[in-house]
Amino acid sequence: MMIPQILLEGALTGALIGLGAIGLTLTYSILRFANFAHGELLTWGAYLSLSVAGLIGAATGASLPPIDPFSFTWALPVAGLIAMLLTAALALAVDAALFGRLRGRGASTIIVVMASFGASMALRSGLEFLYTSKPAYYTTELQIAMRLPAGMRATPDQLLMLGLTALVVLAVHLMLTRTGIGRAMRAVSENPALAGLTGIDTRKVIRVVWILGGALACAAGTMSGLLVQIRPYMGFDLLLPLFAAAILGGIGSVPGAMLGGLIVGICEAFAVHLIGAEWRAAVGFVLIILVLLARPSGLFGRAA
Amino acid sequence: MTPLATAALVAGYERDLPIIKGIDFTLAPGGFVAVLGPNGAGKSTFVKAIAGLVPVHSGALSLRGANVTGLAPHELLRRGLAFVPQTENIFATMTIRENLQLAAAVLPRPARAGRIGAMLEMFPDLAHRSGALAGGLSGGQRQMLAIARALLVKPQVLILDEPSAGLSPKAVGQVFETLVRINAAGTPILLVEQNVRAALKVAARAVILVDGRLRHDAPAAELAGDPEIGALFLGAGHGEGARA
Ligand SMILES: Nc1ncnc2c1ncn2[C@@H]1O[C@H](COP(=O)(O)OP(=O)(O)OP(=O)(O)O)[C@@H](O)[C@H]1O
Ligand SMILES: [Mg+2]
Repeated sequence: MMIPQILLEGALTGALIGLGAIGLTLTYSILRFANFAHGELLTWGAYLSLSVAGLIGAATGASLPPIDPFSFTWALPVAGLIAMLLTAALALAVDAALFGRLRGRGASTIIVVMASFGASMALRSGLEFLYTSKPAYYTTELQIAMRLPAGMRATPDQLLMLGLTALVVLAVHLMLTRTGIGRAMRAVSENPALAGLTGIDTRKVIRVVWILGGALACAAGTMSGLLVQIRPYMGFDLLLPLFAAAILGGIGSVPGAMLGGLIVGICEAFAVHLIGAEWRAAVGFVLIILVLLARPSGLFGRAA
Repeated sequence: MTPLATAALVAGYERDLPIIKGIDFTLAPGGFVAVLGPNGAGKSTFVKAIAGLVPVHSGALSLRGANVTGLAPHELLRRGLAFVPQTENIFATMTIRENLQLAAAVLPRPARAGRIGAMLEMFPDLAHRSGALAGGLSGGQRQMLAIARALLVKPQVLILDEPSAGLSPKAVGQVFETLVRINAAGTPILLVEQNVRAALKVAARAVILVDGRLRHDAPAAELAGDPEIGALFLGAGHGEGARA
């Protein structure tokens, strides 16, 4: 296959990874633990979109035509927005039930990380119970790939997703760098005690982080479900690439997470084409190890 | 009304390990009190407990007559208590202006720009580099930014933990001069210091803390002239301060 096409495919996966990694990098830097349940927020987001789209479909008598030139009807973007709110609520609920209590007790980081591992399993099992482990799809509509310059081919869905991801990343970046709440988030990330002394309510900042992380995870999960398929393990399988992207970009950096995601996605695409598909999962590992050895603070990170 | 008072305050990092073992203390309106004492006496723990950073086990803390025991730091700040910790007291990865903007966020929106401007006017060293990262400031400039951050909200009480630590003598002079100015303008100050000589020069009153208890409370001038007190409570390293 031609190199531009490999790059494009890598960029598509990478954009999804980057979008998911933004939430991960924010929770990591502000709540100070590696949330292994973040992948399940992607999966729950994808399934919530599926269910809400199904409800909208039923309410409208399944008569909606696809939005030309895409493969889906208006039900999906509307459902996606609603599911983003629901996933944010889910993230807040998990925090209230689990992580918040551990924080209140002053639990050590390793305890919180282990708890997130448990939350990941519980959330995943819940999905298998509710939806079975059979793959699901938002649409059965087939899409013809369009010809692009340099011999590249992509479907309209794929191009839309790239555009949407770029917009979301820009919006989150501007929020963090230009708004009061973004400044407060960076302050809590650097020094929670001083943030409190400066008048910042850290509990409020933590809520915003979960809302943002949950909503972005839902967006990433829904897009991934649209481009590939919806499975209870989809988020869990993405966890390693998500961590690789967050660490590569530098914990706490939104542009870093996006760039890290693109690098991971493109490396995966090349590994698949040059070595073999079974090596895809190894790419995340190798990248994490290389970054930790060569530049632990990541591309955009500050030294700890 | 008394700006700040503690009654039988017991506080510490862990539940059954009180570091502060029952302190009754009042800061009078316009007062300037130095908190002195040997290393490990609990001076930092005392002011951190007042600022909401260390759990209060029993006793009470009041600000202008209102009981504020157990409130979080951000709630205490909104009630007029500003605390400048000894270390890590600025956001190093943000610009000077962003540090001030963070503090200004507790003020009503129309008042923010004016207060930031007033602080930059008060600290000209910060003004002409307000777009620079705070992490690049010198020790003295960092202390000035930390004080500016605290003053920006027009606190009713200003508490500082060793603002002179690690500063050059010239920078110490500047910091203390600033504190005197702030106090003269009406803000009561509680100042933890190792630099006894300098502290007794600027403070009106001093308390000596030993092993989590207040052992001495006297006008600063009296303490400065009492070599016995110095030898007894301030430790060998502070001999020169007691002689001052
Ligand atoms: N974060 C902490 N966790 C547990 N114990 C602490 C902590 N910080 C200080 N201590 C303990 O509390 C006691 C009082 O310490 P504190 O820092 O308040 O003393 P200090 O008077 O400020 O000393 P210095 O003059 O060295 O600053 C010490 O025994 C110290 O070991
Ligand atoms: Mg101390």
